[in-house]
Amino acid sequence: MTGDKPLEIVLLEMFLLVLLGPLVTGFIQKLKARFQSRQGAGVLQPYRDLVKLLNKGTVQADTASGFFRSIPVLVLATTMAAGALVPVVQAGPPAFPLGDALMLLGLLSLARFLTAVGALDAGGAFGGMGASREMTIAPLVEPVLMMVVFSTALAHGTTELGILAEQRGTSWILTWRAADFLGFAAMLVLLPAETGRIPVDNPDTHLELTMLHEGMLLEHSGPGLGCMMLASHTRQIVTLGLAAALFFPIGAVSTGVIGLLLGAVSFVAKILVLAVYLAVIESSYAKLRLFQVPQYLGIGFVCALMSLALRIL
Amino acid sequence: MSIELVHTIIDDLGGLLLFTMILIVAASQISGAIYAVASQSLFIAIAGAVLATATGNVDLWVIAGITLIVKAIVLPWLLLWVIRRMDVKREVEPVIPILATLALAMVVVVMSFHLSASLDTVRQTITGNALPVGIALTLNGVLVMATRKTALSQMVGLFSSENGIFFTAMAVNKGMPLIIEIGVILDVILAVLVMTIMVLRVRSTVDADIADLDRLRG
Repeated sequence: MTGDKPLEIVLLEMFLLVLLGPLVTGFIQKLKARFQSRQGAGVLQPYRDLVKLLNKGTVQADTASGFFRSIPVLVLATTMAAGALVPVVQAGPPAFPLGDALMLLGLLSLARFLTAVGALDAGGAFGGMGASREMTIAPLVEPVLMMVVFSTALAHGTTELGILAEQRGTSWILTWRAADFLGFAAMLVLLPAETGRIPVDNPDTHLELTMLHEGMLLEHSGPGLGCMMLASHTRQIVTLGLAAALFFPIGAVSTGVIGLLLGAVSFVAKILVLAVYLAVIESSYAKLRLFQVPQYLGIGFVCALMSLALRIL
Repeated sequence: MSIELVHTIIDDLGGLLLFTMILIVAASQISGAIYAVASQSLFIAIAGAVLATATGNVDLWVIAGITLIVKAIVLPWLLLWVIRRMDVKREVEPVIPILATLALAMVVVVMSFHLSASLDTVRQTITGNALPVGIALTLNGVLVMATRKTALSQMVGLFSSENGIFFTAMAVNKGMPLIIEIGVILDVILAVLVMTIMVLRVRSTVDADIADLDRLRG
């Protein structure tokens, strides 16, 4: 289905997501540091890390094949393409066929797959372990995320995120149905898993017993590692954007310059709220043991399935 | 208050009740389950208040008030006091893995929605989704009672069951007669008091719990 959102705005939104991604990470890290009564690095620290990495040289494992070098670029490209599908400053479908929420989830899992393949390709023990763990968690997260999307899509008869956001644009939390509450609860359970944060994964650690995502990045270095980091920042903001588009699409409906500004401001507000949620969760819980993660995600699964059942039955 | 609005609010509260029910089933620490059941009782009290304003039934106000004070505040506080007194922070000790219990809970919920969909004409007279949600709450309370080893977690299941019956009764019948509701509440209070004293006494004398009764041979 096509609408009237021009190509320029879609591209603008995509680059906005990529540019703001590290800022969200920096904000969460700063907030976490404040919760721990530390000063913490500035919110711009992830940008400095990226610049530093991009200026470095690359070291590669002897066992890695030629494909390894292209992995970071592919992962970043896939994640950026997923970012193009999220409505940011303006709701409504784009003027050309682009893809829907299923496409977005598919691209995110493609990025995950490529990351894991890259980790396995390098031949390091930690990379393989990280990849196997990530691939254990992924089949528990992705179906639940899909069910949340379906539950919202069923109410509006489309999986196109732009239309979803537009139709829900006028609604506010007071018009939430029971299924929305359950779907949102499932989303809140899933967000830390999908963004690779405590209680499922710890983004700050390089301790071999606890890392999932970081383990897969160990073999990358220099600009490649920079691309992977940027991809994971982008992935985080894309996931937050998806949650915002499904559950609080307020403020992204109007058109025109003022409408765009309003949309941008409300988008920033929504992302900030979700980022604060992530920081609070990360500061108040310990990382779960790997074998307890299915139980944690099971709560999300049951919530999402019930939300779907409430819509259908 | 218009009838659609009441239906909507009861539906939304039903969603929140189901969510607290999932939390009770999935809680791996007993205090978490107690907080969840307390919030469940709070939602029940809100539902009672909403129905009371909609129908003008004064009995429902009384019931909502009693539910709020007894089941959302006093009894959870009592259970938490027992936990502190017994100085246990241990896990809930499920009989089957919690993940399996969650799957069973899900089956219960889907079945109760499916079955009450076949009661179409009956359901017309009932406010919103109250019937399937009430049935699901009741059966899941029984499920929690059946799959936990410690007496305290079983009491939480009893609460949840009780809440389900209350919710159904309120929404189906615009409230049972006040005398019956008060009788039921008193039963619950008595059950909790007796079980609390039992748990404390049994633990202080022989340091055992319900599950250990298996080994008791006469």
